[in-house]
Amino acid sequence: MARRFRLLALVLVPLVWVLVSGDGRLAGQARDSGGEWTTFGGDLASRRYRPFDQINRDTFGDLEIAWRFKTDAFGPRPEFTFQATPLMVGGVVYTTAGTRRDVVALDAATGELLWMHREDEGARGEGAPRRLSGRGVAYWTDGREARIVYVTPGYRMIALDARTGRPVPGFGSGGAVDLKLEMDQPIDLETGEVGLHSALVIAHDVIVVGAAHLPGGAPKSRVNVKGHVRGYDARTGKRLWIFHTIPQAGQPGDDTWERDAASYTGNAGVWTQMTIDEDLGLVYLPVELPTGDYYGGHRPGAGLYGESLVALDLKTGQRKWHFQLVHHGLWDHDVPCAPILADITVDGRLIKAIAQPSKQGWVYVFDRATGEAVWPIEERPVPAGDVPGEWYAPTQPFVTKPPPFELQGVTIDDLIDFTPELRAEAVKLVSRYTLGPLFTPPPVSRWEGPLGLLMVPSSTGGANWPGGALDPETNVLYLYSFRNPSVIGLVHDPSRSDMTYVQGLAADPNAPKPAPGAAAGGAEGGGVALTVQGLPILKPPYGTMTAIDLDRGEIVWQVPHGETPDAVRNHPALKGLDIPRTGRTNGRIGTLVTGSLVIAGEPGFFTMPNGLRGAMLRAYDKATGKEVGAVPMPAPQSGSPMTYMLDGRQYLVVAVSGAGYSGELLAFRAPLPPAAR
Amino acid sequence: MPTRAAVLAAWLVSLAPAPAGQMRSVWDGVYTVEQAQRGAALYQTHCASCHGVALTGAEAAPALTGFEFRSNWSGLPLGELFERLRSSMPPEDPGQVSARDKVDVLAHLLAVGGLPAGPAELARDALAGIRFEATKP
Repeated sequence: MARRFRLLALVLVPLVWVLVSGDGRLAGQARDSGGEWTTFGGDLASRRYRPFDQINRDTFGDLEIAWRFKTDAFGPRPEFTFQATPLMVGGVVYTTAGTRRDVVALDAATGELLWMHREDEGARGEGAPRRLSGRGVAYWTDGREARIVYVTPGYRMIALDARTGRPVPGFGSGGAVDLKLEMDQPIDLETGEVGLHSALVIAHDVIVVGAAHLPGGAPKSRVNVKGHVRGYDARTGKRLWIFHTIPQAGQPGDDTWERDAASYTGNAGVWTQMTIDEDLGLVYLPVELPTGDYYGGHRPGAGLYGESLVALDLKTGQRKWHFQLVHHGLWDHDVPCAPILADITVDGRLIKAIAQPSKQGWVYVFDRATGEAVWPIEERPVPAGDVPGEWYAPTQPFVTKPPPFELQGVTIDDLIDFTPELRAEAVKLVSRYTLGPLFTPPPVSRWEGPLGLLMVPSSTGGANWPGGALDPETNVLYLYSFRNPSVIGLVHDPSRSDMTYVQGLAADPNAPKPAPGAAAGGAEGGGVALTVQGLPILKPPYGTMTAIDLDRGEIVWQVPHGETPDAVRNHPALKGLDIPRTGRTNGRIGTLVTGSLVIAGEPGFFTMPNGLRGAMLRAYDKATGKEVGAVPMPAPQSGSPMTYMLDGRQYLVVAVSGAGYSGELLAFRAPLPPAAR
Repeated sequence: MPTRAAVLAAWLVSLAPAPAGQMRSVWDGVYTVEQAQRGAALYQTHCASCHGVALTGAEAAPALTGFEFRSNWSGLPLGELFERLRSSMPPEDPGQVSARDKVDVLAHLLAVGGLPAGPAELARDALAGIRFEATKP
């Protein structure tokens, strides 16, 4: 009966939407009847919020597995990095899956496979800069048709009938749009370095498409594909507009590029999620930096729209405002995640705001209509380095409020101090590296020192692509961040790149071949595992969950997220010491906020209380940060949790994978109360 | 010549961990310097573009050295880490690097991680009997 009802609902729900919407505002985009999850971020404001409270402090510890879905067969080999957030619409869960990035539709109550779609792109897919299953799909309906839209590894946009999984004939050519075309630059269809692994966003019948490249620490060339952003008609797949993230000659922002750099420099894509304000008709683009993550000598100038938040008119692609978070970036501080919309009240004034978490540890808050900063963001002088040919921005923007959610820069005081001996070792170890505050420039790597910059937050955060979640009732933003240094040095290596400098570390001139067995230290081709007796070089917390009140611009609470690793708990040098929970580092951990909880899984394996190897899914009281429940999972969280209501029951779905555990969706739900069993 | 079934059986046996009492650990000098040097060259050719020249990871691929890498594999037989390399890396075509070469890459990972070299090369059929341990037992 329930099953029949769901199928009926699948047919009828779009019709009901047409009947009840009336205002037309929501027509032609992902619609949410209340219990669903229709876009990557939960809603187009990227809040990852649902008010449901069936899964709560009393039931969380008793969560049962409703279903699980292994993705090994969706590609020629298993995947170990399953990052998707599934959608749930009309009783059906939709997600990308597997190394082929197939699309699957599952029964939301049981996990049964309803349909799958597969694109074999041959060499084009295998050589793509961003492979694997990606972050998920987008949903679109006009009240009659319903479509699932996604981007393949080979950078083709596919529209599928949501009911059958079949390509939509009227979309592009046979359901596909080749995104390597109409990008205002020549791109080799097979080898051109551009792709996209994030989920698309759709509103007002416009699909917004970003661009991603290979990691940029050591690009082969200063010349690369430009990551322009485009809007497409959701009905036809026709390109509506393009926004040049690297301005063309004569366009605004062109004057931030010196010499001829804008003509050949590439990247500056939007590889992460975008956010849309449907009322204002604006789409917000978190843009990455241009070619060369740590050396910008070939791109002199501030380099708009690198590392900027850009607001575009959704219908036309015209720029409304922008703010550059980092001028002429040298730290790979791409704007990493979807900004979050929040209607906040600051000193009695209502502000339609947008909050942008960052790798560098700040949440930047703006009026989302105008781009004006809600609290002052000050241009302050920063030190220049001495790398030959580099162009240094004289100032960088400093956020004055809210306070940083993560350590920014590093000093001796931040090093491991469980024991005086460990601290002494750490001090000796870092003596070969440059330490300094945020915006300390990376040096040319020298064996005699400095080998490189000890950079905190690292090149991957701070925060990263999962971003945060927002409770719209309280305007508290929740996010996970981690603390782990990157070592950034520059080397001249014409065998690898036509750039004057790329990321690398100097080799020992007296030891042409790196000596295996050497612990921390490093050489090009060797490692820089900056550990002290196998322990992290920085003090804990290694991973943190933070709650930030956006009305007041203040941190409400912070707690370590992730259990203390076995390697700390069992370390011989720490015997007898009482070490509180350290949190876990290096995760890409998305959060979910519900009626009473903040929910997130752990980023690393450990020996769980049940004696098994795995990671916990944890729930915190959203008001206090106190942990109120935890359930074991076989592997760390690798996607971001989402939730939906179906037939009166709340489900919680999360993608897990890692180390030797291949990708799997886990769907939890609270057990029925005894009377209902 | 062994039958296909015999090869399969031998492979399955190689995946199964040896009883704990018989297991060596990665701290026991389980690879040679020369092997790690061969692995270093292979790593730079096939792995570094995603995992970084210094194994520290990047946006699209995790670190293969450091505390979290060790923590996530700690307690598992080295055979599991090898199986991950064998079956899924490099992602565009895991078959382009032979299993023998992947054992050398594994030796490079151990060397970079500061684990000691020893007198004998790491061999594929020994992997199930070597435990990956984050800290020296």
